[in-house]
Amino acid sequence: MNALLTVLKKELTDAFRDRRMVMVAFVVMPLVFPLIFAGLGTLGAKKQTEKLENALELPVIGADNAPNLVAWLEQNNVEIKPAPKDADEAVRSQDSDVVLRIDEEFGSDWRGSKPARVELVYDSSRPLQSGTTIARMRTLLQAYADQMGTMRLVARGVHPSIAKPLRIANRDLATPEAKFDFGQQMIPYLMILLGFIGGMQLAIDSTAGERERQSLEPLLATPASREAILSGKIAATAVFAFLSVFATLISYKLAFTYVVSSRAGGFSMNLPMSSLGQMFVVILPIVLLGAALLTALAAFAKSYREAQSYLPMIMFLPMIPTMYLMVSPVKSQLWMMAIPFLSQNQLILKILRKEAIPMDEWGVSLGAGLLLVAIVWFVAARLYHREQLAVSG
Amino acid sequence: MITVENLHKTFASKKGPVKAVDGVSFTAADGQITGLLGPNGAGKTTTMRMLYTLMRPDQGRIVVDGLDPQQQPDPVRRSLGVLPDARGVYKRLTARENIAYFGKLYGMEEAAIAKRADALVDALGMQEFADRRTEGFSQGQRTKTAIARALVHEPKNVILDEPTNGLDVMTTRGLREFLKRLRAEGHCVLFSSHIMQEVAALCDRIVVIAHGKVVAQGTPDELRAQTGESNLEDAFVKAIGTDEGLFA
Repeated sequence: MNALLTVLKKELTDAFRDRRMVMVAFVVMPLVFPLIFAGLGTLGAKKQTEKLENALELPVIGADNAPNLVAWLEQNNVEIKPAPKDADEAVRSQDSDVVLRIDEEFGSDWRGSKPARVELVYDSSRPLQSGTTIARMRTLLQAYADQMGTMRLVARGVHPSIAKPLRIANRDLATPEAKFDFGQQMIPYLMILLGFIGGMQLAIDSTAGERERQSLEPLLATPASREAILSGKIAATAVFAFLSVFATLISYKLAFTYVVSSRAGGFSMNLPMSSLGQMFVVILPIVLLGAALLTALAAFAKSYREAQSYLPMIMFLPMIPTMYLMVSPVKSQLWMMAIPFLSQNQLILKILRKEAIPMDEWGVSLGAGLLLVAIVWFVAARLYHREQLAVSG
Repeated sequence: MITVENLHKTFASKKGPVKAVDGVSFTAADGQITGLLGPNGAGKTTTMRMLYTLMRPDQGRIVVDGLDPQQQPDPVRRSLGVLPDARGVYKRLTARENIAYFGKLYGMEEAAIAKRADALVDALGMQEFADRRTEGFSQGQRTKTAIARALVHEPKNVILDEPTNGLDVMTTRGLREFLKRLRAEGHCVLFSSHIMQEVAALCDRIVVIAHGKVVAQGTPDELRAQTGESNLEDAFVKAIGTDEGLFA
């Protein structure tokens, strides 16, 4: 235990004197992610607001066929544009999000009280760019249709409600915290990824680097057991990763509180610092798993460079469960708590939504996570006992 | 005291197994300097690595102060001070911090470490750079730091693998004096070298190794008598059969 603490203390001292490592973990990482997400978030929110509130630019083909409809649209913040030569081409080339084609028979159908035909031309494969506009157009046309339908019924002396057999009332059970936004959605992923790989520099440096700098051989000749040395290095990696996550969360919160919310009105993020402790307990197995796995890899690799070449694969690991969830969204179930990354993702979301986490979920998540840590630690210890470990080159 | 009996160690390589150590036996007594002389690649480093428990012999026996390193690695490691072939120091720690780190790993108290570090800094002439970070140290300064680190726990037996490698003349002379002091204090000093002059000047007993085997051993006088050469360096060359890989 003493040797473990000695190694832990030395590795942290060593790491904190490494200016490059400190810069990456406590300056670059904490700046890059909030900047990217806050920047994207602001941009996204702005775009969204623009598309919702600015005049909707709408090229119309056959505007003369339905002057009343066109006039009504203009009153409702739609800017009518001249018809493009080829509507399909205009949408395909993204010149227009949506084009409205009014049928030539519109006038006669309308007068004959037959459904008059209008056509919306759009491309649904770009929901981010044109989704809002398309939805807005549909709503407008539906509103016009409802309004006109009501007037026709009234003109015929029928109560309009006869055509409204349903009255849909909405009761949304989402707590205010659960209706979180873009910024908050990224928190679980950010915490998991940074917790997992936040100590990668230290892990590789303290094993593969130490061997390359030829100080591992004298270290292993001391009476300190290899398990203690290994555990000290893993612990130092974990502490470093935790601090990096903490720094990033603080900077993330600041970015969203002061930069984003002031620019794009109403776009704010609620990152309750009170639940931070809970979130750190949730990612504890992930942090230890990352530290143990990176240290095992560094002990397995023949050189510093070889160890570094495994990093892209390692970074990919935390994404797999998240991607699985994106492809096949499922109800949160207890067995999921046993899957690393997936379980932490779900639990952090719950904490952010201020939902209570049942004891069994805590137990399964921490138990399964720590069991996996133990397995990886055991593999790392086996690697640390190999004769080749100390001998460089 | 270190006794080695019939040590064997084979490594797997792409061209097939390589016998690095092939039946090495010798004894290094307390209060004596024992030199392992041999050309590069003779098996000196591998023999030493088995001595300080970093490698397991395929065959043979090692006894350090009556203990078998394979059976009781812990007390054996405590009784050994090791300067391995790899003598990297932590460049972001000062020389003194490097020494203290190992002191703690040997389970020493802070006060004892500080006292011992002072003594070693004096003995090795490290006053000028002891409190500087080791980044940018010269080869000699690094070696001195590594030696101080290896001896912080006052080991009974001292094993040094090519300690004068890459050192300038003055530092080498200082180091030799330091080894003589260790001998005078009753330590068992075992060091390896491929420099004939160094071994001739320092050692009470010489073990000549070539191709993983001991080809001659004894006091300088015994070696001269065994080979019939009056000059010790000629005796070495005759014992090994070639002067390739040796250094005058």
